[in-house]
Amino acid sequence: MDETVRAVSSRSRVAVMSVETRRNFGTVRVPAGLNGLLPALILIMLFFVIPVLALLLRSVTEPEPGLQNYAALLGDGTYARVFFNTFLVAALVTVATVLVAFPVAWMLAIMPSGLASIIFGIIILSMWTNLLTRTYAWMVLLQRTGVINRTLMTIGVIDHPLPLINNLTGVTIGMVYIMLPFMILPLVGTLRAIDPMTLRAASLCGASPFQAFRRILVPLSLPGVAAGGLMVFVMSLGYFVTPALLGGTSNMMLAEMIAQMVQSLLNWGLGSAAAFILLVVTMVLYALQLRLVGARRTSGGI
Amino acid sequence: MTHPFLSIRNLRKAFGAIVAVHDVTLDIPRGEFLTFLGPSGSGKSTTLYAIAGFQDPTSGDVLLEGKSLLAVPSHKRNIGMVFQRYTLFPHLTVAENVAFPLRVRRRPDADVKKKVADMLALVRLESFAGRLPGALSGGQQQRVALARALAYDPPILLMDEPLSALDKKLREEIQGEIRRIHRQTGVTILYVTHDQEEALHLSDRIALFKDGRIEQTGTGEDLYLRPATDFVAGFIGNSNFLAAEHLGTTNGTTTIRMTDGSVISGVRANGTFGKGQKTRLMIRPEAFSMERSPASAELNVEIVDIAFYGERRRIVARIAAGQEVDIRPTSAMQSQDVWPCSRQVFFDPAAAFLFPA
Repeated sequence: MDETVRAVSSRSRVAVMSVETRRNFGTVRVPAGLNGLLPALILIMLFFVIPVLALLLRSVTEPEPGLQNYAALLGDGTYARVFFNTFLVAALVTVATVLVAFPVAWMLAIMPSGLASIIFGIIILSMWTNLLTRTYAWMVLLQRTGVINRTLMTIGVIDHPLPLINNLTGVTIGMVYIMLPFMILPLVGTLRAIDPMTLRAASLCGASPFQAFRRILVPLSLPGVAAGGLMVFVMSLGYFVTPALLGGTSNMMLAEMIAQMVQSLLNWGLGSAAAFILLVVTMVLYALQLRLVGARRTSGGI
Repeated sequence: MTHPFLSIRNLRKAFGAIVAVHDVTLDIPRGEFLTFLGPSGSGKSTTLYAIAGFQDPTSGDVLLEGKSLLAVPSHKRNIGMVFQRYTLFPHLTVAENVAFPLRVRRRPDADVKKKVADMLALVRLESFAGRLPGALSGGQQQRVALARALAYDPPILLMDEPLSALDKKLREEIQGEIRRIHRQTGVTILYVTHDQEEALHLSDRIALFKDGRIEQTGTGEDLYLRPATDFVAGFIGNSNFLAAEHLGTTNGTTTIRMTDGSVISGVRANGTFGKGQKTRLMIRPEAFSMERSPASAELNVEIVDIAFYGERRRIVARIAAGQEVDIRPTSAMQSQDVWPCSRQVFFDPAAAFLFPA
């Protein structure tokens, strides 16, 4: 009883303090900051806001004013297929990346810090390596007469080469590889914040390793999975190099289509419209995630 | 032959070259509240972790009702545990936390509900069932952890310094709760702490650890009044160690000479000493008296300071060799006493223990 009162009073004290801090921010810091921020704001206007508006403008003015570009994109079956394919690949890549990244991130989280920083270094190094080089390397590995197919045929697992390239499989493998660091990094942060004692407690409570994983570790790591997942999904939606090199003609992705519209067909209006749709989808997803994670934070205190 | 309820047999745990637990053997009867007391690094937590199944001992065995626990993975040991840190599942409410061990055991819903209600009543947190752990104070979190650990009626409850993160007042409050819950449930409790007051307050028996071994096992009174070693004497309660020379032991009566030349007969010898051997005499501060009684021995001291502590006065005195002696007589000095002054203080030789130097 006594304790509750104390807890409540201490909480109200915290609330009072935070109000005071906020007031300080309001009266002193923000105006001063606004002046200082002016160059940065101009920069953002010039290089980010204006181009996006120009893009929007183009999509409704070229070749003539009107919404015909959007109507074409959303009405046509071919374009719809490209949209569907783009979302399919992005979803597949996200799921596969989560599945591969989770064990790696967990290993990094519980590893002695010296060893973990070496592995981190290796992962970061792969991020710094040229994207094209890495994608070509996958072509060497995955093609009909590539390392993987030849090895499998030599040891007698398969008779005919597996179709690993110029299709969905190739794109997914290549993109998961590229996206892994973007999932591993936020996930390691989340997993490191989980006290390993919590899992020991779960074990003593009678939870098998799988139950502890499903009921404790997975729910507690969800914020990290959500952050990494969104990043991977959004990046995958607009990805160009890997789908262009490892994908086939039958499963074109949006970025390839935009490139074709602008480069081959010189149809800037249609390309701009496609890019703008992609931007809107991305922003909606981002807002959705903010909403979900934000709601969790206020109610859950994780 | 009946087996002891819980039995630790020659437990040894080494981490590479570092031996955390040397050789621990202990039998614990059902329903006992046993505390592992000792300074940090004395092997008490490692022993507890071996029972919990978090660390495989290098050698030795842990037997529950005669059956070895070592081959049983920790999630099948059916042991309850409250940890030093807060280990409630932060994404589950208080009620869901307490229900967790029952859910993973796939108990029927109605049973789970009833048990959770019982457990929250036991720790007096019924009204907090819907809260998340983040909204509770540290003391409340540990009470929920206690409810969670007891929800599946484990035969043994392990507690690893569960109160060390709490402030003193809260600690005493929850100590009372733990005693009540032990009486109410009859569960066997193994409790780890480095706080001797906590150990004395809570336990039926205390196992005092030092350097990976048990120095002495016994009730708080045993350890306080009959310490087996100078380490026990120094760790439990306050004590003065005064240099002395062993003059001889005849018919069980031990005679020593203090540094100022005075000779005292009848002190309790822990072990056997050679003639002329350097020894240390341990006297509790409250064993001193300001008045002479027929059996008492005397010590010449200079009173340096007297401080008033409410129920008792604390006197700082100095013997001729310069060493300070802590004196807290049950019979208070007269208020007209002035200091500094030289005088004699008295103690019963039977309450003084002789240890090797």
